Amino acid sequence: MSAIAATATPDRARAAKRKGRRDTRMAYLLLLPYIVLLIMFGVFPVAYAFGLSFVDTIENSFYGLANYDFVFNDFRVPAAAINVIWFVVIWVAMTMVGVATLSLMLDTVGRRTATTLRTIYFLPGAVTSSAVVVLWLFLLDPGVSPFQGLLHAAGWTYSIDVVSGLGLASVFALMAFFSASGGWIVVFGGALSSLPTEVLEAARIDGANRFQLATRIKLPMIWRSLVLMGILSFAAGLQLFVEPQLMGLAGPQSAQNDWSLNQMAFQYAFRMGDFGASAALSTMLVSTSIIIALVIVFATRFYKLD
Amino acid sequence: MADARTPPFRLNLGRFIVYAVLLFAVCFYGIPLLWLLLAGTRSQSSLFADPPFTIGTWDMFIATWNNLTTYNNFQIVSWAANSLIYSVGGVLLALVASIPAGYALAASEFPGRKLILVVTLIAMITPSTAVVLPIFLEMNLLGLNNSYAGLILASGFFPFGVYLTYVYFSTSLPKGVMDSARVDGANRFELFTRIALPLARPIVALVAFFSFIGIWSNYFLAFVLLSDDKLYNLPVGLTVLISTSGALSNLPANDVPIKKPEVILAAILVILPVLLIFIVAQRFVRSGTLSGAEKG
Repeated sequence: MSAIAATATPDRARAAKRKGRRDTRMAYLLLLPYIVLLIMFGVFPVAYAFGLSFVDTIENSFYGLANYDFVFNDFRVPAAAINVIWFVVIWVAMTMVGVATLSLMLDTVGRRTATTLRTIYFLPGAVTSSAVVVLWLFLLDPGVSPFQGLLHAAGWTYSIDVVSGLGLASVFALMAFFSASGGWIVVFGGALSSLPTEVLEAARIDGANRFQLATRIKLPMIWRSLVLMGILSFAAGLQLFVEPQLMGLAGPQSAQNDWSLNQMAFQYAFRMGDFGASAALSTMLVSTSIIIALVIVFATRFYKLD
Repeated sequence: MADARTPPFRLNLGRFIVYAVLLFAVCFYGIPLLWLLLAGTRSQSSLFADPPFTIGTWDMFIATWNNLTTYNNFQIVSWAANSLIYSVGGVLLALVASIPAGYALAASEFPGRKLILVVTLIAMITPSTAVVLPIFLEMNLLGLNNSYAGLILASGFFPFGVYLTYVYFSTSLPKGVMDSARVDGANRFELFTRIALPLARPIVALVAFFSFIGIWSNYFLAFVLLSDDKLYNLPVGLTVLISTSGALSNLPANDVPIKKPEVILAAILVILPVLLIFIVAQRFVRSGTLSGAEKG
């Protein structure tokens, strides 16, 4: 018996090794199309932009940090940075407070009512990109807006009054919140309904009312997810482009062509033909996003599934 | 304490506030959408003169529809066709790339697996808008700017789909079934096509759903990559329609037939497919996927 075992073991080990190798080859084969796309549209563009940011693309020579220098010395860039930060602060605050409040409130009403309301909140998610800006240009125009009563009451006659009254950062935050928050409310509806019932039951028996239940028990339990939503919104908000870029549709007097950082990167490439400067600004924007992503991935151990 | 378990319905201040806030939110989310859908049936003068929620007439709608579709030699129709081409091509590519990749990451162990997973997560969390200009610079180098292929390839890259598939197979692939199929002599590729793919129907639908929404409504990438107006998709076309006609600026009238009603109808065309998919998916989610999630 021991002799058989002795001869069988190396055989089995070799077979296992061969099987492992074949498994590996199969895995790479299945991954191949995705890896090609990942390199083409994830890794390579970022690396290429990084390399390009050190090149004088007009003279085609090594440029050192001159592109970065140029970007930092363009007075529009710090102004755009301040604009974007205002937008992000308003939008993230709106999203965190709005989504948490509405989700917790929906969790206290009847199931059928909650489902219907959640659907209504969620549908504007279909209005994205250019359509959301076009819709809001109508909503902010006191001449045609369904909210014209409200706008007239505030003393605004033309859309330009509304925009300057609210401030561009708030207008863009409203557009983004209108379209993006409903999806989160659905996500948090699911999260709240899967909270352990024993804990909620125990708190109820201890005499907690609905308000205490929401603020002292449920809110702390979804807090981590709320923060994650805030960070994801922050990262997306820094890349703002479409909303300010399309303000000009309301007429030349409303155009905002260098309001955000991504617009500046666009201006460098498309208006000035300076790809190096565009690459330098893009590299800084992408690096910020990647750093945020790394923090999320390693702080939440996202990849730890198995 | 019996009534503490199921609090009786009382209209106190707290409940009043809850319902007031929820109702306010219904107005905030619902009114714009309702207004837009109704406004698509109204004429330019009705938009200014009548109350906001007036329903237009069939004749007004048909007139608007004709103005919009025939404008510039049926330009909006070709933009809609382009949108369809980009979306179908992009969704198919996203599926072909992400379903096998997610399966491989979940079902096997190989060198480099963790690296691919982490890079995928980073790519998924990084907003796609952050790489639009780098992708433009790259496409400029490759000469793929301004082509169907360029935009379809770029929209087929969908790391979120890989992540969803990976999570799905990690949690739902029955190890026993896989092992017995292997014993029965199925090779590795057959394991994927015969066992994993049939199980993958819900995840294929989910990845198609999310990637379609992203690609159909993509403005920034299409705007940057495409410079020939014959290649525009609907979201870019919508803005071109407005900027060439000046329909949204209250400037002196011109003889371009694109006025506010036509713009509204074009905007409805942009959002309608996603809106319909949302409504269909809503029922799908309530009936099927939720019960699966409870078991999982």
